[in-house]
Amino acid sequence: MSQPIHVGMADLVVSKHPATLITLGLGSCIGLVIFDQISKTAGMVHIMLPDSREAKNIPKPGKFADTAVPLLLEELAKLGVNRSQLRAKMAGGAQMFSLPGKTDSAIFGVGSRNIEATTKMLASAGIRLVASDTGGSKGRSVEFSTETMKFIVKTLGSGTKEL
Amino acid sequence: MMDENSEFTSIHMDAIREIGNIGTGNAATALSRLIGRAVDMDVPVAELVPIYEVTAHYGSPETRVCAVLIRSEELFSCSLMFLIDEEKADILADLVIPMDISGMPDEEKFQMRNSALAEQGNIILGTFLNALSQITGWTLPTTTPAVARDMLGSIMDVVASTFGVMGDSAMLVKTTLHIKGLESDLGGTVIMIPDPGTLETLLAKLGVL
Repeated sequence: MSQPIHVGMADLVVSKHPATLITLGLGSCIGLVIFDQISKTAGMVHIMLPDSREAKNIPKPGKFADTAVPLLLEELAKLGVNRSQLRAKMAGGAQMFSLPGKTDSAIFGVGSRNIEATTKMLASAGIRLVASDTGGSKGRSVEFSTETMKFIVKTLGSGTKEL
Repeated sequence: MMDENSEFTSIHMDAIREIGNIGTGNAATALSRLIGRAVDMDVPVAELVPIYEVTAHYGSPETRVCAVLIRSEELFSCSLMFLIDEEKADILADLVIPMDISGMPDEEKFQMRNSALAEQGNIILGTFLNALSQITGWTLPTTTPAVARDMLGSIMDVVASTFGVMGDSAMLVKTTLHIKGLESDLGGTVIMIPDPGTLETLLAKLGVL
């Protein structure tokens, strides 16, 4: 297995085969991978927030769903992928704390707004989301390997899922 | 309203640190009364940390932690978090459970410890907010506490995403409480997480903005 590349908060990494991309400890954040199964090229981004419009500046486009998805596609295009072959998998968007009546607030609803915004961005870019493990109240660590094209999602207490 | 978090000056940092100082001093006293042991606290530090590094600031992303969170939502909308390593959290919980629970089924033990931690976190964080209330003259009603046990990285998303809405740095008021009289210190950390834009309200109230 190739040396894993850690994708930190708001980071965006693309790579040709062979590569293993990992993101540890996602809470409300989203780990999104877009890949081309034929050329075995993949990219991962660690999205923190749904919408860049409230931000004063955007030093890291990977931070927001609305800027991360277009940039990820652009970076993958630079590696010569065939856009029609691209598929996506994602995990994250949990709500780590639950307080009665607070699920829709700006702070507590960020996980579900991240899921919604990312899904919407993928749909409008015409990228098929083939697997996802999102929501709930537990954190996740994710790993994607260009060898298997599997997205491995680990959760404390409930083990490992392979998407 | 400030344009950039980078415009925080040392005066702002000092004002925030002073709140941390009084807040956690009171919190240490309250916790000490509750558990009947001496509780020391480190001098609070207020620092600006890039939001992308808040997890690394406290440990590694997959460290198992327990966090108690309460919110204040009227004049000053803000979350306060008490963060402690999970194994230490259980030792802390057991200090206030008045019976031996070692033989209980895991699920019951878990529930019992979580409610003990919710109460301890509530006292620590509520006392912190009381200090803030005294300094500002604001009435700051709080929510009931929420407890989460998970990976540090997932928990710290609350901090990073709240500060991240408007800027790229988090002003962390960090202080550690040490509980004496046990084989090892039980250190826990209090983190203040003002909602986007509200830190300025607080600084204005303190007369430093």
